[in-house]
Order: sequence, then structure tokens, then C-alpha cells
Amino acid sequence: MTRLGPLVVERRLAPSRAAVIGVSVLAVVLALLVAALIFWGYGVNPWQAYATIARGTLGSRHGLMEILRRAIPLLLCGVGLALAFRARFWNIGAEGQLLAGAVAASGVALFSRLPAPWLLPAMFGAGFLAGALWGIIPALLQARFAVNEVISTLMMNYIMIYIVEWLIHGPWKGGTMRGFAYTDFFPSAAQLPLLPGTRVHWPTLVLGLALAGVVALVLTRTRLGYEVRVVGESTGAARYAGINSLQVMVWVMLVSGGLAALAGVGEMAGIHYRLRSPTHISMGYGYTAIIVAWLARGNPLAVILTSFLFGLIFAAGDTVRVVLRMPFQFVSVLNGLILFFLIGSEMLMQWRVRIATKEERWTGKAGSSAS
Amino acid sequence: MDWQSWVIGIVGRALAFGTPLLWATLGEVSAERSGVVNLGVEGMMILGAFSAFAVAQTTGHPGVGVLVGAAVGGAAAFLHAFMSVTLRANQYVSGLALTIFGLGLAGLLGRGWEGAPLRQALPAVTVPGLSQIPVLGPMLFQGHTVLTYVGLFLAVVLWILLWKTRWGVVVRSVGESPATADAMGISVFRVRYFTVTFGGVLAGIAGAYLSVAYRPAWTEGMTAGMGWIVIALTIFSGWDPLRAVGGALLFGALYHLSFRLQGLVPPELLKLMPYASAILVLALVGLRGTWRRGAPAALGQPYARGER
Amino acid sequence: MRLLKTMAVLVAALAVVGTIGLAQTKIRAAFIYVGPIGDYGWSHAHNEGRLIAEKTLGIETTYVEFVPEGEVETYIDRLVAQGYNVIFTTSFGFMDGTLAAAKRYPNVIFAHCSGFRRAPNMMTYMADFYQVYYLNGLMAGALTKTGKIGYVGAFPIPEVKRHISAFAIGVREVNPKAEVHVRWIYEWYNPAAAKEATEALIKDGCDVFAFTEDSPTVVQVAAERKLPSFGHYSPMQAFAPDHCVSGQLVHWDKIYVDFLSKIQKGIYTSKNLAHVDYWWLLPQEAVELGGEPGIPVNPKFVPALKARIVDSKVFGKISVYDLVFARLQQMGDPGVSFDPFEGPLYDRKGVLRVPAGAWMSYDHLITMEWAAAGVVGPWPGEP
Repeated sequence: MTRLGPLVVERRLAPSRAAVIGVSVLAVVLALLVAALIFWGYGVNPWQAYATIARGTLGSRHGLMEILRRAIPLLLCGVGLALAFRARFWNIGAEGQLLAGAVAASGVALFSRLPAPWLLPAMFGAGFLAGALWGIIPALLQARFAVNEVISTLMMNYIMIYIVEWLIHGPWKGGTMRGFAYTDFFPSAAQLPLLPGTRVHWPTLVLGLALAGVVALVLTRTRLGYEVRVVGESTGAARYAGINSLQVMVWVMLVSGGLAALAGVGEMAGIHYRLRSPTHISMGYGYTAIIVAWLARGNPLAVILTSFLFGLIFAAGDTVRVVLRMPFQFVSVLNGLILFFLIGSEMLMQWRVRIATKEERWTGKAGSSAS
Repeated sequence: MDWQSWVIGIVGRALAFGTPLLWATLGEVSAERSGVVNLGVEGMMILGAFSAFAVAQTTGHPGVGVLVGAAVGGAAAFLHAFMSVTLRANQYVSGLALTIFGLGLAGLLGRGWEGAPLRQALPAVTVPGLSQIPVLGPMLFQGHTVLTYVGLFLAVVLWILLWKTRWGVVVRSVGESPATADAMGISVFRVRYFTVTFGGVLAGIAGAYLSVAYRPAWTEGMTAGMGWIVIALTIFSGWDPLRAVGGALLFGALYHLSFRLQGLVPPELLKLMPYASAILVLALVGLRGTWRRGAPAALGQPYARGER
Repeated sequence: MRLLKTMAVLVAALAVVGTIGLAQTKIRAAFIYVGPIGDYGWSHAHNEGRLIAEKTLGIETTYVEFVPEGEVETYIDRLVAQGYNVIFTTSFGFMDGTLAAAKRYPNVIFAHCSGFRRAPNMMTYMADFYQVYYLNGLMAGALTKTGKIGYVGAFPIPEVKRHISAFAIGVREVNPKAEVHVRWIYEWYNPAAAKEATEALIKDGCDVFAFTEDSPTVVQVAAERKLPSFGHYSPMQAFAPDHCVSGQLVHWDKIYVDFLSKIQKGIYTSKNLAHVDYWWLLPQEAVELGGEPGIPVNPKFVPALKARIVDSKVFGKISVYDLVFARLQQMGDPGVSFDPFEGPLYDRKGVLRVPAGAWMSYDHLITMEWAAAGVVGPWPGEP
């Protein structure tokens, strides 16, 4: 559309995969360059800083395992969110849905008295149902009362936080916790096995990877997946195609909320073994997963990649704090910068630069190949 | 305890705690009326709180601190405007990023400023004459800073601007249908930049109120989630500045009551009220289908000319 | 407790004899805090203690702040990988993570604050305020005019309940009809909540304030109304020079210096900590009375406290000012001759909790859920 000397800058209809990846990588690099200034301001050599981070994350077994562990909840939440985003349902509520799963898992672990082998499956099942329920509410609110889902899901996160607070201070407060606000510990049958010497609760990881595959299959190979995609393109088109978009939304949020809740079950049964203050259960995984899903462009398989990327960022934050001894707020600043550059570069992907054709050079104008 | 002192107590506290909620909500209403959601309220508030404190502490003038807090809040919002208007980035993600970034940056810069009280806090004013009125006097005209009254005044001004002036028509039409507004010759770009930045200025003042008036000191993370209550309040008030006054007072009163009524009502129940009521109000609005009072139709959507 | 500690020291001494000649490894100590050090409360105070220990002993230390409870193991892993060999974790919620790490790293020494689980290489420690709260209570009881004293509590857990009860016992000793009104904010750190809780107490007629929260908010809010208050944790007199009467100050450095120097001397090792528990109070100078170090009572309040004469069972007619210092001496001397929780002691429901002549045991102290007479307001978990 615009000619700059021998080059033409023009809009493209859909960004190519290469453009998405290329521009995203460029954005992260730019963010790291800005962050380098802050390192430098603190008297830390940025090159050494990034080398240290690399050693503390990708360069050691412990670091790699930490990336895995942080990626588990991001993966499960991210796959669910990717599905919702494909249907153009802006689910900001994974954090609350994750907590709903944690609550249901704790309830089953502590009070169900199920025989040992059934306990963990029941926790995952109950967790999924709780998250699905918590996810369906905003879908129904949107369909019936046109309630903006961003707002309803966001608000429901806070409602769930206070429900958890109420439970641990009130009815579920554990008798063995010396008056502190925790539930009692789960029985050992309600605790997931870990990879030896690590804190990686591998069953949840396997579950996450499998479900990413399943959701990808559903999206591409089934009628429901087709309907989700149509609804996501435009509600008008869905109506023409005779799709009941309410039904589709309910299905989408059932799965989206349920998957986020599975992440909560995993954190409970793999890390905490008890219900505790919500800010200590999730490290904002539900919110980070929004970025994870959005970067993956709603592709569940790509979420595997992006969730590991953000697992890496979490682990890098630990290294920054422990090894480089930077203030913890620096991690937030770095995350904020990366986000800004990633979303800011979004528009770049819509454009491409190519060498002008002979004709265009002749006329001195750019052709109208795209508009 | 007689009913008079109960009412005086509740309304007085509702005003004091409601003031920062009101300022920031008016700001968010301004931005959202033009179609831009800014989830960065918490980030803008904390940046405003820190910069106001640092300047007030250095200069000894709390008023100067408030002005700087306003400017910093505006600058933070400008960043969001750049992201969401110029670069047409996803507004929700950009707002979240602003909150994360703002909390981090304020905390980073604020290291070392904790542990000292503000030299000179913004003084409370007693309105001469009016403060002598029984009940109303001690309730409304004593013990509040000038920011409370300016905030209330601003709500009225903003309401008149939005609903009674051409400027309001312009802003609202940008929020309802930017394409139509564009066709009418309105610069969607300029309007959104202005409303978003103005919203940030108000959020910055809300933060400044916290650190130089409400509790004159700086501590890490001192906004403690207030920005999210503001998001709820914006919806609760139906994007209407006057209703925002009522909403801010109600939420302020609820917060006060969560301490006053302890033992009778679980505090968690009162604390989740703002969030639950925001959803409820949205549902009621949707049920009645009253769109004038409802959400701006183009809320959250970036606008690019020639794209529908 | 004391007996256990003595035994531990003996065991340790034997261990030293056994290991003489072994090369001393250099101490590298790491501290893990749950909050930001900028909270001006709990984590801030621990960090001050760390800095003093670093200076006094000339050892290398580091810290990680704002660590979520469930993440403590991750940070311990990283710190051990960095070569830190003594690790302090300063939150109750870190207990199980610290214990797990202690099993994983048997040669690293761990110290966990405010918990009750130990291991051969993991000790526990706590500097407790209940004696100081009692002293503050004496002053508060003398200063209230309405007979209502406000208390802003963080969480209804035994530690805070113990402090409020000790405070109330002090209040009632000089003012048998006074009440301590309690409001909970359910957070360790939330200035806005602390402010509104204080305002609610003011509206209910309270005119003297004490609290458990990590910021000076309560002191500031009370001072706005020209009402007296007691600081908590960090020096807070500067926030209200004319209205902060006294308060509690902590000196974690006393524990840190003692423990670390005993490691340096080889008294404590990674083998002999299973029975080591520092429960340090006034005699060990881990806690101090005052709103500013070295100033037990704000001089502005000395005349008022001297003017108030009470009839004490032990001391006869005595001014509250002198009573405070008499009790301070009784509790501060190595041979402690007084404890606030001295029987006969009834809770606010009238149940006898401590029989006549007895003191409360350590286990009873750290698990107490009941409220002393004079406490008014919600008390979740009250037996």
C-alpha cells in the first residue's frame, strides 16, 4: 500500500505462521533489551545476567524441572482458554476456575472417605465439574442477559477468592493447623506422585498434554469444533449455518472452566496437599494463561509451546531473584515489558514488506493487491 | 448507640473510603464511554500513589504531590492508549500488562521510601458554616480533604459533559459506533487518546489520595486490589458519573460495615459484594435491554478505518 | 522448654568435642521472607535482624522476599545450589516445605520461625510479645477515658489471640471495668483495611489503640484524632510523636547472632537441632518495650501514667508508670518472677483456664484459642 523506494509495505489478510513467530521473537528480544537497561542501572552486566538466567533455567536439571512444573497449570488453563478464545469468548476467569477445582479437590480429599484408589480420580472428576459449573455461569449470563464475559469472569475470580478465604477461616479450618487458616493435610492417597527428586507432579503433566491433543482434535475433526470455529468467526454466520451459539458457548465454557479447574486439582494434589490462602495457591497462573493462549493464537497444540515459554519466564524470575539478587518487583516489570512488546507488535504481523514489482516502480505507486 | 451517630459514622467513612474509588471510577467511565477498557487501573493508581508520595515528601507540598501523581497516572494511561488505539492491541491484555508493570515499577522505585511518615499530609478541611448543621455537618463537611469535594463536583461536571454537551455526544458516539463517528468527521483516534489519558489522570489522583491524604505514607502494594473494585464499580454504575457517586459511597459503606458488623456477618461475604453486585447489575441491565444505560456498544474493540 | 534447651546445649557440647579438628566451613546464611521487606512489619524486622547479624559476625548473607508459601522449597533448592548452608524461613506457612527440604539436604542447617516441626538439621525459633503486650495493656488501661480500647487484629490465630488476651489482662489489672474491642482484618498487611477497622473502633467509642498489622496505619489514624496508640513490630513513634505511647519492638538479631555464632563455634551442627527451639522473650532481649528503641514510654505520657495510682496486690499503692517498670523488671530478669498468664485465670466465658498459682505451659501458650475476660468482639474458633 505504501512504497518506500524499492520496497512496498502492504497489508496481508492473515499473518503467516512465520510472521507470527518471527515478530513475537523480535518482541521478546526488544523487551529483553529494554530490561537490559534496568540490569545495567542496577550495576549488573546484562550479558552476564542473561547468561546466568539461561544457566539457571535451561542449563540445569533443577531449572528444567522447574520450567516443567510451572508449565503444568499454564498448559491446562491455556488449552481451555485457547478453546474459549476460538469461540471469541473472552474468558478472563481461569484463575477463579482453577480455585474452584482446588476447592472441589480439597472437599473430596478431606471429607469424601472414598477408598484410597478412587480418591485421586474422584478429585479430578469433582474438580472438573466445579470448574465447568463456574465456567458455564458467565456463558449463560452472556447468552441470556448479554453480560460482558470479560467482566463477569473477572468478577467471579474475586468471588471465588473470598469463598476460599471463607472456607479456610470458617467451616474447613483444619484442627491440626494450630489455629492457622489452612485445611488439614490431605491423606497420602490424595497426593500425586512426583518425578523423583523434583516437585513435578507428572500425572497432571501427562493429563495436560493429552487434553491439549484431544481439544485440538475436537476443534479440527468434529462437528462441535466446526461450530466453535464458525461462532468464533461471526455470530451472524453461525446463525445462517443454523448453529445454536448458546449451546456451543456452554460446551466451550464447560470444557474451558473444567480444564482450568484440573490445573487447580493438580496444584492441590501435587504441591500444596491442603487448601490455603488463594494468593499462595496460584501464582497468577490463570491470568498468565490468558497470554499463553493468546500467543498460541487459540491453537491448543501451540499452547504446549507457549506454556513452556512462560514456565521458563517463571523459572527465570526465580533465578533473577536468587542468583542475581534483583528486587522481586523487577520480575513484574520484566513481565510487563514482554507483554507490552508482544501485544504492541501485533499490528506488525498484519503487514509485510516486499520488493516492489517492475510495474509498481514504473508507475511510482503501490499496487492494490491487498486492501 | 443512637442512630444518628451510626449514620454519621457510616456516611462519613463511605465518603473517605469512597473518594479514591470515585476518582478512579470517573476516570474509567471516561475511557470506557469512548469504547476503551483499561484494566490497568491498579497499576495507574499505584504509580500515582508512589509519585505523589515521593514528590510530597521531597518538596513538603502535598498539593504538588497530587499534581505529579495525576501527571504520572496520565502518562501510564497514555501508554495504554498508544497500545490500544494506535497499535490496536488487545485492550484487556494491554490493561493487565499495565497493572503488572505499574505494580512492579512503583515497588521498584519505592524501595527505601517506606518507614517514614509523610512530612505534610493533605489537610482535612472543615467547611465553615455548613459544618455546624446538625447530623449533615459532621457527616459531610468535617474531616474530609478537598479531594473529596472536588471528586463529587467532578462527577456532576462529567455527567453534564457526557449527557448534555456536544462533547459528550462525540465521546459516546465513538464508544457506540466508531465507524459512524468517523464517517461524521470525528477523529476516533483523538477522542480515545483524550478520554483514556484523562482517565489515567483521575486514577493517578485516586492513588495520590491514598498516599498523601487517606493514609499519608508509602508502602509496597498499598492499593491492595482497589483498582479491581473500580472496574466492578464502573459497571455497577452503568457507565454513569452520577451513579458512580452512589456506587462509590455504597462500596465505601460496605467496606466500613465489614468491620462494623463483624460477628454478625462473615466479612468475606461483605467483601465479595462489590464483585457480585457488578455482575448482578449487568444482568439486570441486560434483562431490561436499556442500552442507553448499558455498556457502550464498541467497548473493548479496537478501531481501524476501513475495517468493519 | 528450658530443660530441653539445656540438654540440647549439652548434646551439642559433646558433639563439638567429637568434631574438634574438623575444618570449619564458612557460614553463608540465606533468609526467605513471605512479605516484601518494604512492608515495615514482619519481613522488614527480620531483614533488619539479618543486617545486624551480617555486620556483627562478619558473615555473608542474602535474602529472598515475597516468596509464596508453596514455593519455599523451590527457593531453598536454588539457594542451596548457590552454596548457602544456613537457611532461615520466616513464615508459619513455610513449615512443611522447610521440613521437606531439611530431609533432602541433611548437611544444610535450617531454622524455621514460628512453627513446631523440627529435624536434626532444622530448629525453630520465635520472639514473642505477649509479655510486652501485657505491659502495654497496663498503660492502655490507665489512659482510656471511655473504658473502651480498640484492637485491630490481623488473623484470629493463637499467636494474635495470645497477645490480645495478655493485653486485656494488663488493661484489667489497672482498670477492672475496661473492655478491649477487637476487629479482624484477615490480612497481615493491608493499610486500607487497618484504617477502616480503626475508624470502626473509633465510631464504637474506643479511645486507645493497639494492633497486629504490618504497617503504622493504626498509629497514624489514631493520631489524626489525637488518640493514644501503641506501635507494633517496627519503631512507629516517629509516625505519631505526640500520640504513640509505647509498643512492641522485636530484635530478631539477638536470635540470629546467637544461633549463627553457635554454629560458628561448632555448638550447633546439622546433627543436633532436633530439640533446639528458641522461644525468646524479654529476658533474652529479643523483644523490647517501646515505640522507639531505648524509649520504653514516650516522655509525653509519663506524667499521666505517674499520676494514675492503682492498688496492686503485690506492690500496694503504686503509679501505673512504676507498675509497668516493676513488672518489666520481674519479667525481664533472667529468673523470671512474673507471668501475665498467672492463675487463677478465667476466660471471658467464665471457664477456669489456668489454676491458681500456676503459669501456662509453652504448649498451652502457643495453642491457646480462648479469650481473656474483658475482650469484646468476634473471636472465631473460641472454645
